[in-house]
Amino acid sequence: MPQSEFDINIGADGMVELHVKGIKGKGCLEVVKLFEQIVGELREEQKTSEFYEPEEQVRFQIDQKY
Amino acid sequence: MPELLLLLRELLRVALSNDHMSAVCILAPVVIAAWPTFSAAVVAAAASLGYEVASEASKEVVAIAATPEIAKAPVQLEIAHSEVVTTQLGRDQRLAVSRDGVTVIFSRDARGRASLCVNGTGQSDELLKQMGEELSRAVVQQYVYRKLMDEMRSRGFVVVDEQVNEDRSIHLKVRHWEG
Repeated sequence: MPQSEFDINIGADGMVELHVKGIKGKGCLEVVKLFEQIVGELREEQKTSEFYEPEEQVRFQIDQKY
Repeated sequence: MPELLLLLRELLRVALSNDHMSAVCILAPVVIAAWPTFSAAVVAAAASLGYEVASEASKEVVAIAATPEIAKAPVQLEIAHSEVVTTQLGRDQRLAVSRDGVTVIFSRDARGRASLCVNGTGQSDELLKQMGEELSRAVVQQYVYRKLMDEMRSRGFVVVDEQVNEDRSIHLKVRHWEG
């Protein structure tokens, strides 16, 4: 089973809509932070009920590359 | 009260499901790239809109831009939130693409931002501006797409589905496994 799933829509103008699924708690924030570093500025964020469920151990490597 | 029971059942299903979304966010792109990365995005965007790469030889492109017949009130545009990183000081980096008698020259301006100059042969400035903005948006989209793909692959994300929609947006379905 996949650990997590993402739907990413890159608009014709480069704006990115990201749907994060299957990650609870702060693990979700890590993912959003990662995509923020890759794409750019976070404009809007909506958390669903899953965000508030007890978190699982999820780690992503975050670093800045050009 | 069947509606209430159905609503409660749906809420319970969502609360127990691991498949529903845990966050939805909108990210505005920032373009920070070295010239080779930026020019690759320009070439891909230009191809997607039917442009051909006219020349990458700087002197030739400058000569084209300076020709009075072609350089009729050229439209100058800038890609917002962009920075073309370079370590090659003094090197004139430009890339020209053309379609239907319109030439668009991309370059790095004095402040390091990505800029474009749109030259036409008889088209109105408004049309030239529209074409430049359309191409500019496509460049940003291609830059974001390529960067996302590179970064996600390097972190073990797997793209399981990819589609280009009618509105030119690109949809990716991505999975990530722990470990």
